Amino acid sequence: MATEEVEYKFSKRSSRWKLILLLLVVALIGAVIICLNVGYAPIDFSQILAILGKQIPFLNGTISSSSISTVNAAIILQIRLPRVLAGAIVGAGLAAAGVMYQGVFRNPMADSYLLGASAGASLGYTLAVLFTGSSLLTVFGLGFYQAVAFVGAIITVFVVYFMSRVGNKVPITTLLLSGVVVNVFILAVQTVFELRSGKALVGIVAWIAGGFTNITWTHIYAVFPFVLAGTIVAYFFTRDLNMLAMGDDTAQHLGVNTERVRQILLVISSLITAACVSISGVIGFVGLIIPHMTRLIIGPDHRILLPTSAIVGAIFLIACDSVARVATGANELPVGVITALAGTPVFIYLLRKRKTSYSL
Amino acid sequence: MRGADGNMVTLAVDGVECRYGSVKILEGISLTVKQGDFVGILGPNGSGKTTLLKSISRTLKPHKGTVLLDKTDIYSIKSVELAKHMAVVPQENVIGFSFTAMDIVLMGRNPHMTRFQMETDKDMAIVRKAMERTNTWQFAGRPVNELSGGEKQRVVIARALAQEPEVLLLDEPLTHLDMINQLEVMDLVKELCAKEGLIVLAVIHDLNLAARYCNSAILLKSGRVWSAGSLDEVLTSANIKSVFNVDAIVRKSLVTNSLYVIPLSPQKPALSKKCAIHVICGAGTGTVIIKALVDEGYTVTAGVLNMLDTDYETAELLKIPSVTEAPFSPITQQTQEANMELINKAAIVVMTSVPFGYGNLANLEAAIEAAKSGIKTYVIDEVPIESRDFTAGKATLMLKELKNCGAVFVKHPSELPTLVNATRDKLELAKQSPTEIPGHIKKPS
Repeated sequence: MATEEVEYKFSKRSSRWKLILLLLVVALIGAVIICLNVGYAPIDFSQILAILGKQIPFLNGTISSSSISTVNAAIILQIRLPRVLAGAIVGAGLAAAGVMYQGVFRNPMADSYLLGASAGASLGYTLAVLFTGSSLLTVFGLGFYQAVAFVGAIITVFVVYFMSRVGNKVPITTLLLSGVVVNVFILAVQTVFELRSGKALVGIVAWIAGGFTNITWTHIYAVFPFVLAGTIVAYFFTRDLNMLAMGDDTAQHLGVNTERVRQILLVISSLITAACVSISGVIGFVGLIIPHMTRLIIGPDHRILLPTSAIVGAIFLIACDSVARVATGANELPVGVITALAGTPVFIYLLRKRKTSYSL
Repeated sequence: MRGADGNMVTLAVDGVECRYGSVKILEGISLTVKQGDFVGILGPNGSGKTTLLKSISRTLKPHKGTVLLDKTDIYSIKSVELAKHMAVVPQENVIGFSFTAMDIVLMGRNPHMTRFQMETDKDMAIVRKAMERTNTWQFAGRPVNELSGGEKQRVVIARALAQEPEVLLLDEPLTHLDMINQLEVMDLVKELCAKEGLIVLAVIHDLNLAARYCNSAILLKSGRVWSAGSLDEVLTSANIKSVFNVDAIVRKSLVTNSLYVIPLSPQKPALSKKCAIHVICGAGTGTVIIKALVDEGYTVTAGVLNMLDTDYETAELLKIPSVTEAPFSPITQQTQEANMELINKAAIVVMTSVPFGYGNLANLEAAIEAAKSGIKTYVIDEVPIESRDFTAGKATLMLKELKNCGAVFVKHPSELPTLVNATRDKLELAKQSPTEIPGHIKKPS
């Protein structure tokens, strides 16, 4: 009897997954609207909905412009909305990349910064601040420093990857160790430059701590395609990720081209991470704990784990960012501090629980 | 039968050579396997069994030679193509994350699905069948890392079956299984072989299970094929001795009608005690004693034995001199004399708890004579004489006489070696001055 239920559950799995995703998308939209309400100017929900509705092609005729104050519209559309969307995009990107890294490395401790994306971006940003005068230049919508940070992240990941090549294979243990070592090395270089950076130090440290202070729509246009396209392409490899968890040999016997799948997923996750880091700085814990939390609730199947993690990551990060904005009055906290403060207790809880409900 | 075009599917390994660095692991391996064959890959540790399986499963590309499945080089096709035809049950199973048993078996459908597909009802039906056959259906919803080793192994076998392969490779599939699970798994594999024409290659350590289920075998020694063919050809005492360096008795079981191998513990070269012991036995009562005394280093003789009885087989196997009589025949004057000759050469005589009938009373007479002539005589009195005397009391009387002649009665065979060792030491001391050691006869080479 119990087994028949299991079979039924499995046969209805696809529709159950769709329902979960639908509910999460609704929750995400709700979270976005709630977070738009957070800030100094008191703008109530009816205003927010009216302002948003005005932007939607078919709805805009039904909303009278008189009910909307132009100041409020400017605050919502030009300040709060880009910021909240950036939080959602970065949260989704980091969580999705975290799922991919953990799957590829078969290691629950892997996160989106494992291969040095964060360290490379930080160093790139620091060097750009210290050695180039102008920050007015923009590259594909990104500020110059951000573009350098992006390039720094990509270069670092590729260095780590090619360092780990043995013949035409990249053993995951070697890759993991190279990542750790390169992270430490870059941190050392970073420290040297930080100590010589003088007045610029505050700006650098603030950027590295992570946040969405000066987000504009151009940033979103630059980063969103990476996260969206990357996650969609990665979705087609989620079944392969399930099989990679069985070890390389078994995955191959089940028809997975392990080396190629790994390469594709590492490229995708690294691009996503680099794009996210370039606009938000180094926001920790999202790429580590969101996949874990989601896996505990939803199960290990990457086909549902990847999209749910992305949405949960988005909700988590915009919530954290809202707290960061208003928690301490006029001086807002870096969001990385909030994610760490919120993330650490959860992570410790998961570690303690791991023996019974989790194993790898 | 599979093979839609009606042709037989074959797997051909041709001249495969594998190296790790400069060390050759396999050399010149060739074999052809056709549908319905269940081939056991046998050999000691490090003989290249797993490496051979790896080169056939496309995990380890051989340096020389080819592996052809249906005339297609398996290294020339995509892994997803191969996975439709070949499934592998590996030795060790890493299962990351807490997938359920059903999740794992569903993965077997992967090669048959496109990238953008979910499992269909047909896939579910195949998975259910595979799980029912492997007796894993009842825990389909449980996380695999909560299952026992045997259950996990069966789940992995179910996954392999869900691939609907034509070739199934098993690397020590029975390692984690208890007796009943071993038999069930092997029965299942055998059935798939026979009914569905599966090609099975299995690395198996247990020669008896291999003998029972495989219909052919290859025996590897140091990366080369030592012997290949039917089990009768491969599993011989001589082959086992040369490949495993173990003396073994190979017999045909009347129950399973298959060969079975009894390995004997590797014989320590016991120091020859230069002391002869004659064992009067029969009907299997002497086997344990003869083996124990030989292991102790004594020169053992036996008689009178009836041909084909268990003690006779033991004497043959251990190559000890014995006096024999035709099967089920009473001891004749002639054999009795030959027996006495051996007794007179012995320093010690041991008589086991052999049942006595009119046919072998002569053995009892011989023991009495030995005791009378002053040869140290031991009688194992494990079974009361009343229950093994089939001569209307005659044997019981004679045994009493034997006791009166000074024979030592021992309750259990295990006490014998100690007693015999003590006696031998005493004899040794007494005979220190004379040049000749009594009772020594040459062991046949």
